[in-house]
Amino acid sequence: MSEAQQAERTNDRAPNEEPASFLDVTVSQVVQEYPRPDGEGVQRILDGIDLELNAPTINMLLGPSGCGKSTLLRLLGGVRPIGVKSPTSGEVRIGGVPCNGPHDEAVMVFQRYANRPDLTVYENVAFPFRLKLWRARVPPAEQETRVQEMLEAVGLADKAELRPSQLSGGQNQRVALARALVLRPRILLMDEPFGALDAQTREEMQRLLIDLWKAQKCIVVFVTHDVTEALLLGDRVLVLSASPATIVDDFRIDEPRPRSDAWLMSTPVVQMKDRILQRLHGSKSHGQVRVSF
Amino acid sequence: MWNPYDPLPARQRRAYGFASVALVLGVWTVLTAGSLVPPSKLPSIVQCGAAFARLAWDPERGESLLLQATTWSLLRVFVASVLVVAIGVPMGILMGAEPRINAFLSPLVDPLRSAPVVAILPILVMWLGIGETMKIVFLFIGAVVFLVPMVRDAMQAVSQQHWIAARDLGATPWEAVRHAVYPMAKPRIMDAIIVAVSVMWTYITVAEYVNADRGLGQLISIARRQSAMDKVFVGIGVIIALALVTYSLMRALKRALYPWESE
Ligand SMILES: Nc1ncnc2c1ncn2[C@@H]1O[C@H](COP(=O)(O)OP(=O)(O)OP(=O)(O)O)[C@@H](O)[C@H]1O
Ligand SMILES: [Mg+2]
Repeated sequence: MSEAQQAERTNDRAPNEEPASFLDVTVSQVVQEYPRPDGEGVQRILDGIDLELNAPTINMLLGPSGCGKSTLLRLLGGVRPIGVKSPTSGEVRIGGVPCNGPHDEAVMVFQRYANRPDLTVYENVAFPFRLKLWRARVPPAEQETRVQEMLEAVGLADKAELRPSQLSGGQNQRVALARALVLRPRILLMDEPFGALDAQTREEMQRLLIDLWKAQKCIVVFVTHDVTEALLLGDRVLVLSASPATIVDDFRIDEPRPRSDAWLMSTPVVQMKDRILQRLHGSKSHGQVRVSF
Repeated sequence: MWNPYDPLPARQRRAYGFASVALVLGVWTVLTAGSLVPPSKLPSIVQCGAAFARLAWDPERGESLLLQATTWSLLRVFVASVLVVAIGVPMGILMGAEPRINAFLSPLVDPLRSAPVVAILPILVMWLGIGETMKIVFLFIGAVVFLVPMVRDAMQAVSQQHWIAARDLGATPWEAVRHAVYPMAKPRIMDAIIVAVSVMWTYITVAEYVNADRGLGQLISIARRQSAMDKVFVGIGVIIALALVTYSLMRALKRALYPWESE
């Protein structure tokens, strides 16, 4: 039963057709249930999610640990969980077309960089062009210029011939980001991409992401557990409750990026932050325990 | 005080190694020099050395029996290895990549891993005669039953994350296997090949026992019939040495091909 769901790919564009500037993503009444680990029945993880992303914006997704952030992210055009009907009910539409599996315009960046250790930095960034899908879409000469440009954009042009083991964690994550952006995706899905990095490297990567996004705008959905990161990067900050999860907060932030420390310390932002933190920590135990900051 | 994760200094490691070998040689010398064991059962080190020299170069006949035997055995192991790699590796990859192929083939492959391969030799002789084909096929079967499950396991040991990442980028299942899973499995596939070739060296004597016709196994079986224990020892020693050399060469090859593997 899982076979058909897993294999299905959505493609809404002929090989040489120019991409529209962005695609709109509509999530309606999405419910996701997983079998319980003990095999007794199912547990509901996502409980009727409604979400509309209709402009190339950066959308930060926060929520208590294990609430279903990754599950929701994968529903937005990533690889669906294997062996489970996904979503259990409801619908995800991308560009108006129902999406039932990995979408050609959506590319995922993971926390644990999936760089191939046996390939150089250049080869890792050019990796998608080994696949029929992208070879057919991007002519060889353009592949090369795109990879070269991307390496320069992420500051790894002089490291092109090194292997992942010769790079730092932050540099490896740059490679993963470059590999995704070299495809000029219209939807960029990021699952705690900077979660494993130290604070300083994380700040560098956040700045880099903003610069790259300004040059190449797309819908970004960015899962993080770091509230400050969400406030610094997001046009929109979505907060999920503990599972079964619904969207309990949806903040829009107009402050231009890069956002200053002064802005971060201003009263409305601090209040927003407190409220989110309460959601994250309080809702885990359904409000019985209040954590104060 | 010791700690299993603390590597010994190279010098100390070598000293312990030498000590164990010296101990065995010492016991051997004592046993033979004191005539505690008759030479027909255990030849002395000197006798074995002399036998080695005679086999390495026979001045009367003007030829080297040992070199001939070694060449033949090496050739057989080489041909069988090429076949094992050419057939067994793709088979293991397919089994590791596609559960249906695995489900179909594993009832045939897995039980053979513990089958008495030596016992099928008479069957092979009946089917294929006593010539080269039988010997090669015997070596092939003996090694391939180890190789195929190991290659399959090497494929299955690759983290699913690699598969998912490739599928997310738009790889077809076959592309994901080829570009994401298989490259990660390569070092362990190489380990499987190393084991398979080592296994062949243990089977070579059996393969060459039947129709003693050139080769180290033949050399040993003739020597045994003549009760020339010193030559038996030399034959066994040479096989062990060849197995060690091929093992080290293949390990070195693996390190050269996959320098990233240890990370
Ligand atoms: N394929 C699956 N089968 C069964 N249960 C699953 C599956 N994937 C996730 N789950 C369960 O669903 C819940 C939500 O998982 P998910 O990974 O989406 O959460 P998350 O919010 O991303 O967590 P984290 O903060 O740890 O990254 C978890 O309890 C997890 O155990
Ligand atoms: Mg997660």
